[in-house]
Amino acid sequence: MIRFFGVSKRYPTGQSALDGINLEIARGEFCFITGASGAGKTTLLKLVFREDIPSAGQILVNGRNVALIPRRKIPFLRRTIGVVFQDFRLIERKTVFENVAFLPRILGLDRGRQKRVAFEALRRVGLSHRMASFPSQLSGGEKQRVAIARALINEPEILIADEPTGNLDLDLSREIVHLFLDIHLRGTTVLFATHDRVLIDSVGHRVLTLEHGRLADDRPSRREKFPAQLVPEVPAVAALASGKTHFGNLA
Amino acid sequence: MSFLQALAYFLREAAVGLARSVRVSLLAILTIAVSLFLSGALLLVSENLARTVREWRAEARFVVYLARDVDAPGRAELGTALEHGRWTERLEEVTPEMARQRFEHAFPSLAELVAERGEEALPFSFEAVLKTIPPTEMSEFDAWVVELRGRPGVAMVDADQDWISQIETLLSLIRGLGFALAAILLGASVFTIASVVRLTSFLYREEIAVMRLVGATEFYIRGPFYFEGILQGLLGGLLAAGALGAVFLTIAPRVASSLVAGALAARFLSPIELVALVAFGGIAGWTGAVVSLSRESLDTPGG
Repeated sequence: MIRFFGVSKRYPTGQSALDGINLEIARGEFCFITGASGAGKTTLLKLVFREDIPSAGQILVNGRNVALIPRRKIPFLRRTIGVVFQDFRLIERKTVFENVAFLPRILGLDRGRQKRVAFEALRRVGLSHRMASFPSQLSGGEKQRVAIARALINEPEILIADEPTGNLDLDLSREIVHLFLDIHLRGTTVLFATHDRVLIDSVGHRVLTLEHGRLADDRPSRREKFPAQLVPEVPAVAALASGKTHFGNLA
Repeated sequence: MSFLQALAYFLREAAVGLARSVRVSLLAILTIAVSLFLSGALLLVSENLARTVREWRAEARFVVYLARDVDAPGRAELGTALEHGRWTERLEEVTPEMARQRFEHAFPSLAELVAERGEEALPFSFEAVLKTIPPTEMSEFDAWVVELRGRPGVAMVDADQDWISQIETLLSLIRGLGFALAAILLGASVFTIASVVRLTSFLYREEIAVMRLVGATEFYIRGPFYFEGILQGLLGGLLAAGALGAVFLTIAPRVASSLVAGALAARFLSPIELVALVAFGGIAGWTGAVVSLSRESLDTPGG
């Protein structure tokens, strides 16, 4: 699904962000990307959804070289990739519904369908009751869940998260991670950048470690499932651990 | 998203944008209103002046007065020359008797003066109605008039075309200056609107980044800003048209009795001209938005 062939990124200042990255991420895989600040995590993610282009090498997403996608066609690539950031990037003057329903609206769905898909996405993150709220009325965890709902609205094949738990406390971080695991269980490829080793070790999926722009380690997944005792207070996680979710029986 | 849905969205977002930065938006609207008001006023004055000149030209007299010693064959020869003149449409012989009757009719109180002097009072003349003389032929016409004035037996040639041509030259000058002034003012308006739209796009830079992130096209991202510029321009145009109408209604009745001012304010702009004035505001606003939304100005983190 995602392939990097000798990808390097050097900024005009001469600073090297990535250096000769080769990797392959299969469809439906959950992959952590970790490393110290400045290791190149964010740059690597930006290259996947074509916010930046590599200085050398090629990146294939679904067999397509993203660096060669014409500028006018980038929006169509991005509609297949959900992106979640540490700082949520919600539009403060718009309601939760309007934030989440933005893509359905530009895709031309009528108001009724916009509401239905937005409701469904918000229900998945447990915020369907906050559709009329504004971001300023939400907690940090709720804001991040709205951002996740927005990223999920178009059922993306790939979900990219750049330090999505960076602004959240431990409990909220776990809650958010398990939302991603929930999404992953539905077949979405997830790239999750974080420097939180505890969080990574507790989940046990594949881990790509970057150091000074180089791929220092590629640890394969150790677990097929995550332990239910990790955050038993989150109903979705408990349900997932037992093989059942509100989307159906996964066992 | 259908085109109509997109238009509705752009309009709504543009209105929100205007409301969000209401003071700077008002500044842009007022700038374009002043520019269009002055441009419209110039258009109004030049249109009225042009119409007046056209009327004067239609009524312009071309009279050739003959010397008293010209005999009948001499008059006939001159009459033939005038009748076959390049610009003559119609020619009428005015005898001293006819001239006297006209004078008495026009100035009854002075009739005695003419009567005292008998046949000698007024000369024989030819009155010609001329065709419209194209500007390119004016120099040839002037040469013809000079040639006529030099002919034996011609006492005087009274050609209104002389001063009408001078007024037309003045009119062209006023129009040229008007266009230059309007261009400068509209340039300033476009610049102001461009600045306001750039400011709005700066205020919305994070939203723009989010829009790009979720896959919004440039059309969708830029549409509201284009509409904001168009709205500012249209509102400025409407304000200018309204102010122009108000000033005209106030001034026109007061100057109606004045020959020059009355002529300059004889008629208001036509509905088509008013619509064009407002539309011009919209075009100027759109131009300002296009100018401000260069790719650089919208490129923000996330884009």
